[in-house]
Amino acid sequence: MDVLTKFTFVIACWAVIFISVADCSNDPSEMSGDSARKLPSVVIPVSQASTLGSFYSLSLSSLFPEDLNEYCIELLSIYRQRYVTYANCLVTYARPVKICQNCYTDFNSLEDIYKNISSDHPGPGNVSCHDSLMRSDRLMLLYALFNQLDEIWRSAACKQCLTKEQEALSNDTVYFMATLNQSLSCFEQYQKNHSELCKDCKASYKKLKALYGRMDKNQTLCIDLEDAMNITQQLWSKNFSCLLPREETVPVIAVSSFMLFLPIIFYLSSFLHSEQKKRKLIHPKRAKSSNSLMNIQDKFN
Amino acid sequence: MANIAKKVSWSSRGDDRGERTPLLNGAEDGKHDRKLSEGAMFHIGRLSTVDLEEEITPEEDIVRSRPKEIPHNEKLLSLKFESLDYDNSENQLFLEEERRMSHMGFRCLEIRRWVICGLIGFLTGLIACMIDIAVEKLAGYKYLAVKENIEKYTELGGLSISLILWAVLNSAFVMVGALAVAFLEPTAAGSGIPQIKCFLNGVKIPRVVRLKTLVIKVFGVICSVAGGLAVGKEGPMIHSGAVVAAGVSQGRSTSLKRDFKIFEYFRRDTEKRDFVSAGAAAGVSAAFGAPVGGVLFSLEEGASFWNQLLTWRIFFASMVSSFTLNFFLSIYHGKLGQLSSPGLINFGRFDSDTVQYNLYEIPLFIIMGALGGVLGALFNVINYWLTIFRIRYVHRPCLQVMEAMLVAAVTATVSFALIYSSNDCQPLGQDNSEEYPLQLFCADGEYNSMATTFFNTPERSVRSLFHNPPGTYNPMTLGVFTLAYFFLAVWTYGLTVSAGVFIPSLLIGAAWGRLFGILLSYIASSQSIWADPGKYALIGAAAQLGGIVRMTLSLTVILIEATGNVTYGFPIMLVLMTAKIVGDYFIEGLYDVHIKLQSVPFLHWDAPPTSHWLTAREVMSSPVTCFNRVEKVGRIVDVLSNTSTNHNGFPVVIHTTENDEPGKICGLILRSQLIVLLKHKVFVERASSRLRQRKLQLKDFRDAYPRFPPIQSIHVSQDERECMMDLTEFMNPTPYTVPQETSLPRVFKLFRALGLRHLVVVDHENRVVGLVTRKDLARYHVGKDGLEELHLAQT
Repeated sequence: MDVLTKFTFVIACWAVIFISVADCSNDPSEMSGDSARKLPSVVIPVSQASTLGSFYSLSLSSLFPEDLNEYCIELLSIYRQRYVTYANCLVTYARPVKICQNCYTDFNSLEDIYKNISSDHPGPGNVSCHDSLMRSDRLMLLYALFNQLDEIWRSAACKQCLTKEQEALSNDTVYFMATLNQSLSCFEQYQKNHSELCKDCKASYKKLKALYGRMDKNQTLCIDLEDAMNITQQLWSKNFSCLLPREETVPVIAVSSFMLFLPIIFYLSSFLHSEQKKRKLIHPKRAKSSNSLMNIQDKFN
Repeated sequence: MANIAKKVSWSSRGDDRGERTPLLNGAEDGKHDRKLSEGAMFHIGRLSTVDLEEEITPEEDIVRSRPKEIPHNEKLLSLKFESLDYDNSENQLFLEEERRMSHMGFRCLEIRRWVICGLIGFLTGLIACMIDIAVEKLAGYKYLAVKENIEKYTELGGLSISLILWAVLNSAFVMVGALAVAFLEPTAAGSGIPQIKCFLNGVKIPRVVRLKTLVIKVFGVICSVAGGLAVGKEGPMIHSGAVVAAGVSQGRSTSLKRDFKIFEYFRRDTEKRDFVSAGAAAGVSAAFGAPVGGVLFSLEEGASFWNQLLTWRIFFASMVSSFTLNFFLSIYHGKLGQLSSPGLINFGRFDSDTVQYNLYEIPLFIIMGALGGVLGALFNVINYWLTIFRIRYVHRPCLQVMEAMLVAAVTATVSFALIYSSNDCQPLGQDNSEEYPLQLFCADGEYNSMATTFFNTPERSVRSLFHNPPGTYNPMTLGVFTLAYFFLAVWTYGLTVSAGVFIPSLLIGAAWGRLFGILLSYIASSQSIWADPGKYALIGAAAQLGGIVRMTLSLTVILIEATGNVTYGFPIMLVLMTAKIVGDYFIEGLYDVHIKLQSVPFLHWDAPPTSHWLTAREVMSSPVTCFNRVEKVGRIVDVLSNTSTNHNGFPVVIHTTENDEPGKICGLILRSQLIVLLKHKVFVERASSRLRQRKLQLKDFRDAYPRFPPIQSIHVSQDERECMMDLTEFMNPTPYTVPQETSLPRVFKLFRALGLRHLVVVDHENRVVGLVTRKDLARYHVGKDGLEELHLAQT
């Protein structure tokens, strides 16, 4: 037995040694393979560096053989102008928000030129500027810029305040503005005395609120109106503090405590008057062996 | 007489405590002497008339005729409950049928099982969809009406009228639901999970899987959720699924008195149990959108053994149910084919990058788990006392309806008072996540934050607690809400309305969990680490739910599936574990508490730990009413119609003499079988005439299932009483038996694993000495003073 275990041990040792040797012998070949593979990759940066070096020395416009044609450059500059105008407008009317009322013409013209660029039909000289302006690089700047502004326009829901072609403010919007102005002028009138303001401007303010609620339901609200309404509401509730008074605390407390009192009565009366439910105990048939009971006691003692 | 007066205590400590003498016989030794004289006389008169019970010892007769009455408590076992027959009776009829059935026949059976499971899933999903839509519509109308009213009266004055309107509307809905439950079908009350647990455990709860129960249940849930009670509709879905399963698999409805003549082979308790577990799984799956959780729920609660094929079928039913709900809800929401609302409760998406958790948060989660355990235990303790009070004093249906209405009114009142007095105003969100924002006294453009939690269906409140951005709730609001809702939920569970406890638990937990998260961000210096309180709301919800119901594996999986986020698996598991450990230290889970209070003979997984010294001899009932292999019809009728001993299984012995000597066992026959035999008049004397008629088949037994006619409805003439009946063909020839010296845990294991109903105890010569039934085993439990015994009682 002992001999046998020794023998297996020896074999195991040999196996281990052999494997490790084999590993070592493998290693150099791997190394050489690796270095061989690395070689070309070292070469590549050098060549890149050389091209870059020559790149710096040259002027930009003369390098590319496939230059933009005149037409596309023109489109690009129109795009730039309109983009700047529109962005300018947006920032100008950012607070309080009035972008829908003031910037829709700018947006329309920007959208026009964007559509023009992105449309596939070729301009003069049979060139499509869509590919060359929009899709020739990874950044796709024109597309991204317009997309962002369009996103702003959409989330502002300006379309809902404008007519169908986005050419003018819709009638609803104009009417809302008028109503809003009524309220605001009323506010101005009573600037000094807040308690009177709350009383006298209530009618016009309520009318405004009702109109706002209606328009909210019809989905004819845009950010301009929402913001204007928001400011008015804040004026009304915070600045002038025309809050509804919490007058009827007493009746509410009275009714509440009456309601809370009911269950107490209910449980008391059911406790006192209801007959308590009793259960009849049943005695099961068991082995009538006194010795088993004795056994239990014995086991415990 | 002597052995009755002898007082025996099983624990060395509890000897001299009068109020807790554990053994039955010792419980009333004080009063006994007085009773003895009259009892003995009574006994003489009684023996002469009732001589069918061979062995009536005088003491027992006294006790039986003069039962002691005690107030209802948890230490009782009700006689009302019987076992289900999971054990197959392998009598000759059965063998014959099996011989006749071809290989193809068995294939068809298998296919039919799959079809039934598909149907179960489909119908359960449909019911869930119906409940969801009905609740949404009704609650929508109610909240709109109340909202308009409140808005009107905030300006004009007279908000107390709105309060009354709200309370009345709530009470009206709840009244309709409670009336239906209390007067038409009391079994439909509550969540139904305890009942299904019992059914899967092997207890036959009367009327629990009937069509009528299903209808009342669904109707009741819609009413109680729309009535604004602190309840959810998830628990009842599980019950509904189980009823659907029991109904579909039988291919007929006794409530409708229709028999479709299909699936007749499955009219047995064994098959029914399998389908009911599939139905329960389908219910869970529809309720939470958690198919795997559903399967695990049925395995955890019901199945006593793991059957691979059955599990696969259960999973199928679950998936079908989830899919059906999904599909029909997508139609309802007008997005046909977009299957993105898999469950009744939708926790919303937890995107892993906004609510990731870190290693250092794990201890916090564990603390929350412990807190959930404590709060859950508190919930259970309060509810336990309340339920005892309800059983004892509020047991008349009209009182129960009144109580439910009161709870509804008070719920509305408390909600209103809190909303009214709250000063927490939040600006209206852009995405309009609030369905019914209430402004009340807030500034224009803002809404009352308390109203988002109360003025909403509970599910929506849970979702907004999980997902509203930080800063939506102020800590004070959450604290008050948690406290108020906790007591409302405790008070509501156990009312005579059908309603579940899942959602209220989640809501309580989510509220204090979110509070916990907010407080953490106050304590911590840098806000960004503890950014999202929604995460803590989820953990809190898990902790609270785990602390109340104490489910483990299935609840973890359900929550993971409902949130759709596997990365939360580990914290949720930790939290549920902690909650269970901490909670179990104080009291059992809510469902177990209610099972106990219903006096159900429920068998847990194992026998009580310190019971090896008890042997079958002490456990069994004895003496046993036996029948001879060829028995006189008169005796059978007499035994069956004896109301005082409502036995269900009778060992068949080779030969009983009239003296004490018990006979050798040769089989076991059930009451239901005897009744069918009597009905078809299978008597030896008529054997010649019966040859002309067709032979009795297993089908005849199945047709009578599950409601066998009572013995009183079977007429047996005086002549027929003298006939003889040969039971050989019909009895189960190989019943399970144990020797007298078998220990209780051994008996228990046999019983639990095989789903037995009767276990015959024999002596060394195979003579019947006793019979162990479910009630004999379920009466042992570990109390404060060691092993205690529950009393049997009539309820």
